[in-house]
Amino acid sequence: MESTSLIERILRGIAITVVILFFMFPIFWIFLMSLQTNETILRVPPSMVFEPSLQNYRALITGQLETQTGTLEIRFMGNLFNSFFLSTTSVAIGLLLGVPAAYAFARLKFRGSEDIAFTLLSFRFAPPLLVLLPLTIYFQQIGLANTYGGLIWVYQLIVLPLILWIVRGYFEDIPADVEYAYRIAGHDFWATFRKIALPLAGPGIAAAGLLAFIFAWNNFIFALVLASADKQPVTVGALAFITASGIQYGQIAAGIILSIAPTFALALYAQRYLVEGLSLGAVKG
Amino acid sequence: MYDKEKQLAEDFVAKKIGRRDLIKGMSALGVTTALASTLVNAAATRALAQNGFNWRAHEGTTIKLLLNQHPYTDAMIANLENFKALTGMDVQYDVFPEDVYFDKVTAALSSRSSEYDAFMSGAYMTWTYGPAGWIDDLNEYIMDPSKTNPDYNWEDVLEGVRKSCAWNGRPGGALGSDDAMQWCIPLAYEQNNLTYNKRVFDANGLSVPTDLDSLVDTAAAAKTAMGDGYGIGVRGSRSWATIHPGFLSGYSNFGQSDLTVAGDGTLSAAMNTDVSRNFHSKWVEMIQNSGAPDWSTHTWYQVGTDVGAGKSAMMFDADILGYFMNGAGNAEAGNLAFSAFKANPDAAAPTPNIWIWAMAMSSFSTKKDATWYFLQWVTGPEHQLFGAQDMDLVNPARSSVWADEMFRNKLSASYSGYVDMHDVSAPGASIKFTAQPLFFDLTTEWAAMLQRMVAGEVPVDEGLDMLAESVNSQLAEAGLR
Amino acid sequence: MSDTSFNAPPRRRFKVSRKFLPYVLSLPALLTCIGILIPFFTAVWYSLQRYRLSQPWNRGFNWGENYLNFMTDDAFWNTLQVSLTYAFFAVTAQLLLGLGIALLLQKRTMFNNFVSIMLLMPLMTAPALAALMWKLMTNPGFGILSYLASLIGLEDFRWASDPQTAMLTVVIVDVWVYTPFIMILLLAGLRSLPKQPFEAAALDGVPRLFVFWRITLPMLTPFLLTATLFRVIESIQQFDIIYAMTQGGPGNTLTVFQVEAYLNFFQSTNVGRSAALLMILWAITYVLSNIFIKNWLRLREKQRGEA
Repeated sequence: MESTSLIERILRGIAITVVILFFMFPIFWIFLMSLQTNETILRVPPSMVFEPSLQNYRALITGQLETQTGTLEIRFMGNLFNSFFLSTTSVAIGLLLGVPAAYAFARLKFRGSEDIAFTLLSFRFAPPLLVLLPLTIYFQQIGLANTYGGLIWVYQLIVLPLILWIVRGYFEDIPADVEYAYRIAGHDFWATFRKIALPLAGPGIAAAGLLAFIFAWNNFIFALVLASADKQPVTVGALAFITASGIQYGQIAAGIILSIAPTFALALYAQRYLVEGLSLGAVKG
Repeated sequence: MYDKEKQLAEDFVAKKIGRRDLIKGMSALGVTTALASTLVNAAATRALAQNGFNWRAHEGTTIKLLLNQHPYTDAMIANLENFKALTGMDVQYDVFPEDVYFDKVTAALSSRSSEYDAFMSGAYMTWTYGPAGWIDDLNEYIMDPSKTNPDYNWEDVLEGVRKSCAWNGRPGGALGSDDAMQWCIPLAYEQNNLTYNKRVFDANGLSVPTDLDSLVDTAAAAKTAMGDGYGIGVRGSRSWATIHPGFLSGYSNFGQSDLTVAGDGTLSAAMNTDVSRNFHSKWVEMIQNSGAPDWSTHTWYQVGTDVGAGKSAMMFDADILGYFMNGAGNAEAGNLAFSAFKANPDAAAPTPNIWIWAMAMSSFSTKKDATWYFLQWVTGPEHQLFGAQDMDLVNPARSSVWADEMFRNKLSASYSGYVDMHDVSAPGASIKFTAQPLFFDLTTEWAAMLQRMVAGEVPVDEGLDMLAESVNSQLAEAGLR
Repeated sequence: MSDTSFNAPPRRRFKVSRKFLPYVLSLPALLTCIGILIPFFTAVWYSLQRYRLSQPWNRGFNWGENYLNFMTDDAFWNTLQVSLTYAFFAVTAQLLLGLGIALLLQKRTMFNNFVSIMLLMPLMTAPALAALMWKLMTNPGFGILSYLASLIGLEDFRWASDPQTAMLTVVIVDVWVYTPFIMILLLAGLRSLPKQPFEAAALDGVPRLFVFWRITLPMLTPFLLTATLFRVIESIQQFDIIYAMTQGGPGNTLTVFQVEAYLNFFQSTNVGRSAALLMILWAITYVLSNIFIKNWLRLREKQRGEA
């Protein structure tokens, strides 16, 4: 492996450059677009020479969108808040419900435990629309339509199975002897769970939470079908720049950049957990 | 604090002074035009309050609207304070982007949600909502003097537009028949005509097309002359929205219809006649030769944006789309001009198919009488005049607004040919589709077939036969044939 | 080894019987998800009816007729074919590309780690927004990709608006978003492989291509399978990317299951057909997810055995 020839190193270098270009260029280009006005964006051929302007971001942050026919109020910041609120709360609740259950499945084999665990994971793979369409009617009847509560519940459909399955793997990896020794020393079940099992499975919980957060953040269809305008996340909010009186390309671009920035930042900050989460707990870093 | 100004406004509304005196008086008092128009409308509202009708019967009630992101909505919101002042009611609203708006309406109504009392709708959509039992027949309100103020003047609403919103619910039943239910009330409407780039036309010596053949030729000539850019914009996405604007307007001008209704009320496909084949061939050829390269993804937005940016020489689409694109912020602002379009050289007049943005009342509303107060105000002459004069509520659906000199002058000043175009085509303007519950299935399929024809996957003749066959079998399956 | 856990708990502060403890712990999670089963059965019930919202008078049970109709319904077969084609091309491309990149970045160097994290960025982008980004870049007027295509001689390349290239375009977007997922899973797999076989092969001077085919690939197979199944299940259900880019067009080139079902429900309000379509999709994914879960469990067992 060490004896790489010069040609091979050059080829590798080219391959990596092409890969980086393909995956990074779109983000870079949209970022450039977000600093331009519609006028410079619409130039043919496209050019990278322009005077950067923050007006698109200013419009999004102040909520005043200038269009051909006047000023339009938008609530992109509200969308951003909703994304934050929905994703964070869903993951918090998902962890609260999922971690004890994962522990039960890992440690306390009980009748039907495998079947139940299996069913729970298979929910992750059910076509979302199958559940969503009838759910609109039930939500109306039980008063959950247009509520954050209802949305957070539905978000559990994406969040909970992931947490359950990833965290379960980490619990199973903790040698039972460690916990057993602690209990022999006179501590009860809950103390053992809190003081031994939870800390040891910490990285797994972080990985699962992070991954669940990203899936929740990127969801498009749930809120669109189930909630009113004031509860829509950024994925739906970014559509608001396509108005009857014209398409605001610069603002679409700025909206995209603002809505992917939080997940980017999170990924950079917690990369190790992200990698563990993405292998669904099968490979530990 | 604005006593003098208020007095001027009152005088104007009471027709004691003219428009010019009003403006002179106002500017003497240092009032901007925008503030002046708000004051005038406030005065109009006060006049409305004195017509003997009990506007405050629902004081304290709050209603909620579901609205589409649109200039009509902007006009509504801009004037909302006056409604609140008039009635003492409160109005809340949810605005959704147009891309997802109707999905949202369907989701709310099909779940029988009482969240929204009234919502914006298109006439076509009421062909689903009405029979499904989601919206109320508004005739019972309009015809009830105890619920409707004496100045509402229903007959003032343009007949073609008004009737296009009324249907008896029987598949194939004529719009606006005597037994029809008034499913919604128009806010404003769009006719499909030509919007062309006068600068490009003049520079290249092109003349405004007067029928389908000259449209095809002019589009080709324009494309050649423009270099980059293309000749004509029409919609092309896989959606009902591709069929209803220019396409159906031209199609129906040749006396063609989508379906035929037999004596016993059964429906069958009518798009595989010889005249239709001829029309389809020319239309397809026009797009292939001089349409947008990415025509098959073109919706309202791209068609409009391109003509506004000078990328297309003209479009056969909604007149108000041209109106928006002629405004500030577009490269071609001020260069766009309008012309009524009659595809069939033998036809007497243009017969544009129309799109109507209208207000409908949810059957699940728990405050219907209060909601009706809002509906009659927002579709009434005062708000329509305000919207038309000061906002972008074009084309208003009331003849009294079209008779208003100030509105006509505003249009004529910056929208070349718009008023004439409207006056020429309005008498023939109405919905040309057959009202029936499969509207969206059949038009979407029609659009998909059009895409295949333009892509050269199917010859026009064969495609139309396939389409007709498929339409007939769907009608049969739904028990309509 | 984990079964020997807590047979003699020494002291209990509050009494939850040993027998019920696991249920107490797992019930909240279960109940939360079980709520989902009710709408699921409602959908089954809808799928057995002739049910169109715009014709309430026509509603009634027609039992399996919605499903039977699929047999002779070209649109359904088209949907099935388009969905499978999409899943096949998207996943194959991602697998090859993901494996290639993982091999490139296999060595643990600062640079490689940095690149692998940067490459995760597309995966952090919501698919609906990714589609919007690519739509902007493939605009025939100002789109940079259309311009670049014209530079290399593809003068009139129409991306998603041409039936010939629409599938290719959405597959590229899918590849852009999800290849990093496969890449990172395979990279983790590669780096977790035991060193001895490779060192032995190097000592013996075995050609590297041979090492790849005979040692690396077989040892990586469980990871490849996991990644493949996971992506197949997801891509056969693709909605966001396709809906945002073309709404299923042009023509019927991209009417995959969920797009078709969505349009059936919201535009045609044909609830019966929409539900039946989704049930078929569910059946397909259920079978696939069974295989996936079993495979994934085995993979994890194996990893733990070696760790």
